[in-house]
Amino acid sequence: MDKLRVIEIKQSVFEDNDSQANALREELKRDNVCLLNLMSSPGSGKTTTLTRTIHTLKDEMRIGVMEADIDSDVDAHTIAKTGAKVVQLHTGGMCHLDADMTRQGLEALGTEDIDLAILENVGNLVCPAEFDTGATKNAMILSVPEGDDKPLKYPLMFSIVDVLLINKIDAMDYFEFDMEACISRVKKLNPNVKIIPISARTGEGIDEWAEWIRSVVAK
Amino acid sequence: MHELGVVIEVVKTVEKVAVEQQLTKIDTVILQIGELSSMIPRYVEQCYPAAVDGTILEGTNLKIEVLPGNALCKECNKVFNLIQNNSKCPHCGSNDFEIISGREFFIKEIVAY
Repeated sequence: MDKLRVIEIKQSVFEDNDSQANALREELKRDNVCLLNLMSSPGSGKTTTLTRTIHTLKDEMRIGVMEADIDSDVDAHTIAKTGAKVVQLHTGGMCHLDADMTRQGLEALGTEDIDLAILENVGNLVCPAEFDTGATKNAMILSVPEGDDKPLKYPLMFSIVDVLLINKIDAMDYFEFDMEACISRVKKLNPNVKIIPISARTGEGIDEWAEWIRSVVAK
Repeated sequence: MHELGVVIEVVKTVEKVAVEQQLTKIDTVILQIGELSSMIPRYVEQCYPAAVDGTILEGTNLKIEVLPGNALCKECNKVFNLIQNNSKCPHCGSNDFEIISGREFFIKEIVAY
């Protein structure tokens, strides 16, 4: 019988994914493709925001979308109507995408004729924050009906994003949402985050959001 | 139940180590989970058998060590436990702090033949 031994690993569980994500980010940079990872809870308006974003920017840049969901392809059909290139990814029960799944998605999408690839991550404020997808930039949508306390409850998500869209501001009158308190909670977690209040329904704030996208795609 | 996806990451890492170190049989996997990480030790334990099914880790034991969620108070510079003190410094009452530990999710070591 061989001798039992203890092997020290002392490795973060996320290390393997992190190194794959960094490799993917480098490749995308080399190929001049900007990958935007869009995260939020279910029902915050990711698909509606994307539809409006594509309509605003489609004459200036070539956009491809990866729709990630546990099941169904309803979002992919909605996005396909905009004329943008789209693929549906099924995570098969998994609540997030990792760098390897993102790479497979990009291969399915084909990035040779794309300037901006948008990954619509699984609707969830917990796990997607922990797995680096390899994206160039991370964006998040918080919608007014969810409440201004979400930065307190899901601090990691708010601390890793480059830009935060606060959506459904056209419904501010119907909810007790304290915009100032929300912004100060987010800034405490993430002082450098860009915050843009928008309404995907009316189009308010979309110009500023489009401008932010132009600035990251141009880099 | 995002623990499952994370435990699958554990399996991938340990499989790599097993090949590198030419291990024949793994007995126990020891994880370190921070109190402030979004992983719940009880759920990790529950999904472990399903995550390792059909892999090199099938039938192995799992041990979990919990690491404390500590913070450094920015007002009085003392270290305190965030969970026990409800995210408020027990020395000066400030809630301005910097997290210094508790977000970890490490594979600490494995016991193997």
